[in-house]
Amino acid sequence: MLAPKPMSRVLIVASRDQAVPIIQELYRGHLFHIEDYVEQGREGYEGFKIGTPLEGATEASAELIKVRAIENVFAIRGEDIEAKEKLGQPQIRSQIEKDLPGIEKEVEELAGARSKLDTKSKEYEQKIAELAPFLEIPVDLALLRGFRQFSVLAGFVNRDVSLTVPHEMQVVKGKDRSFVLAIVPEKNRTETERLFQDAQFQAVTIPEENGTAMARTAYYTEQIAALKKEIDAINTKLAKIKESHTDLLVACEEAFRVKIEQAEAPLRFATTSKVFVAEGWVPADRANGISEALDRATGGKVFVTELPVDPLHDAVPVEYNNPSFAKPAQMLMDIYSRPMYTEVDPTLMLAIVFPLFFGLILGDVGYGLLLLIMCFALRRVFKGDEAREFLVVLRNASISSIIFGILFSEFLGFELPWAPIIFSRHLNIGGAEAAGQGPAIAQLMVVAIWIGILHITLGRALGMINHARQDHGPHRMKAVLANFGWITVMWGIIIAIWSMFAMPLMPDLRGAPIIAAGLSVSIVLSIIFIVMGLIFIARDSVLEIVELPTIISHVLSYARLVAVGLSSVAIAMVVNYMSIGMFIGPALKNLSIVGVVLIIVGVLVFVLGHALNLALGLLGGGLHSIRLHYVEFFTKFYKGGGRKYIPFGMKRRFTED
Amino acid sequence: MADVNMTLDMVQASQAGMKAIGAGLAVGLTGVGTGVAEMGIGAAAVGAIAENKDFFGLGLLFTVIPETIVIFGLVIALLLLF
Repeated sequence: MLAPKPMSRVLIVASRDQAVPIIQELYRGHLFHIEDYVEQGREGYEGFKIGTPLEGATEASAELIKVRAIENVFAIRGEDIEAKEKLGQPQIRSQIEKDLPGIEKEVEELAGARSKLDTKSKEYEQKIAELAPFLEIPVDLALLRGFRQFSVLAGFVNRDVSLTVPHEMQVVKGKDRSFVLAIVPEKNRTETERLFQDAQFQAVTIPEENGTAMARTAYYTEQIAALKKEIDAINTKLAKIKESHTDLLVACEEAFRVKIEQAEAPLRFATTSKVFVAEGWVPADRANGISEALDRATGGKVFVTELPVDPLHDAVPVEYNNPSFAKPAQMLMDIYSRPMYTEVDPTLMLAIVFPLFFGLILGDVGYGLLLLIMCFALRRVFKGDEAREFLVVLRNASISSIIFGILFSEFLGFELPWAPIIFSRHLNIGGAEAAGQGPAIAQLMVVAIWIGILHITLGRALGMINHARQDHGPHRMKAVLANFGWITVMWGIIIAIWSMFAMPLMPDLRGAPIIAAGLSVSIVLSIIFIVMGLIFIARDSVLEIVELPTIISHVLSYARLVAVGLSSVAIAMVVNYMSIGMFIGPALKNLSIVGVVLIIVGVLVFVLGHALNLALGLLGGGLHSIRLHYVEFFTKFYKGGGRKYIPFGMKRRFTED
Repeated sequence: MADVNMTLDMVQASQAGMKAIGAGLAVGLTGVGTGVAEMGIGAAAVGAIAENKDFFGLGLLFTVIPETIVIFGLVIALLLLF
């Protein structure tokens, strides 16, 4: 919790003939993050070399490419398919030998035939396009070629052309350009062309066809229809194959992938002619388990040891270590950056605070319920892990939204039958008499500011912890104190404000006893806080002083928790006022045909308005809550940039060991 | 404005109107400011994300930094109105 999983650095040494059982065991364990061996490449170096792939890697790669090609034809993706039952090794092997070649051949043939037909159909379409300008010329196209004394010119012009030479010409008027077909004596060709050029002549080649353009077009259209029929037949056949063999294909893909990944593992090991050395990372609590499992797999012919870890200088891979309810929030962390191994991991805080912020902004029972329903509906659509995590985050947020909705007494902008339990957000929209005491804007603002003050203080405190952990030497103390300085400057400013103004929900220090030079205790205290903080900050870095205004702007930024929320309440109430107050209400008073239409319009306004507001609320609530974390909270302590822990192996979904 | 014929009601009504105009200006102008500021950042961020998807988080962060301006406007508007 609050820190990544502790990792151990494990070294595995064994003779090369043990490579296969060891790799298989590591793959099955799905725990060992391999540290790739990099050859130094120094001249005259005679030591470890990068290993060579195990047997069968090339064949498996070739097979995998074939299987993937088939999957491409069918547009199958392993991730999108629900695993039904896992195939055992003997079963999958027999199917790979027996069924797969047949399927491959059949699909390859069908896909080949289909692409041939496709090409042909495209060719015909091209011909139809070429014939299109000639459709209105009722002459056999064969008659337009093969003259010696005459020249045939066809093309588009953008205005009428009158020829001065003897000619025969047909013009088909178009919308903004006309098609001309002219036959002129060969000796007048140049002159004609010049005349045409003046009208921006665009030549068209005369199709090599026999028969009128109309007849040929009809012929080709018929041909294309026939081709389409053949293609459809092939598609039906392919669909049948897809239906009956999808499971086999994804299982085969997985089997080949496993084989290749295992076979290529030695490429990441250091080897000599006799032994190989694999180095990598394992979660500390599982290190013993791995060495025992390897012992068992090789009959004791392996040497496994743990190496010392230097958390600061080794690039230790980072795996989150969170209670299960906080796991989905890891997705929000990964969007920003994975924590470093030595850093405080704020996932847990994010998992708790994010839904709270979301609820504060979109505190409405109606919207919360709608989002919750949407979450469960979308779970059926999205199958991927990331999408699932996102939906869980959204689900938590919408539950929080419902709870805050009960507290705020809001349902789609209407008031629930009880008065707001915490501060009211009911605005006075549409001139209706304000129910109760009206919105408590000032109090809500102050609450938001309080949240900001505490959140930022927490962030700075975490910054102190991080610097204490990561820095060394004289800089360590300076950096820790600088973070402390930021806290004292902020609280100094706050105390100074308290001493000068009275605000709801905040202490009023105006009456503090005066001690010296007309200054009260609290003012003196705030001056001490601010000066001390400034010294601490400047000792670490003088340039940081420039950033001082961010103290105010970051704290005030939390006002968005109220401001964005109020704007969504306002939109909801306006929608209600428009649909019910302006359309439905008056129409119900004296019902007529016009009234029914008005009611329908009112319902439409209601549905569209609330749909829009829900979308805005989801976007606003989500983005602003996460932004408060990313910009205001994380910038105080969090660096990120940790290396992801990627254990060797994978979760088998379609096959078994 | 200081018309002798204005009654107290009229003065109050015009004050309320002025407040509403002020609130509207506060939200509208800060909104424009935020939009102008986010324009360049957003375009650059989308470009960066197109190159490298990992940039999404950071790109989003940079893009929403000027949001604060309009939030301040909204806060002022709400304080003016209520």
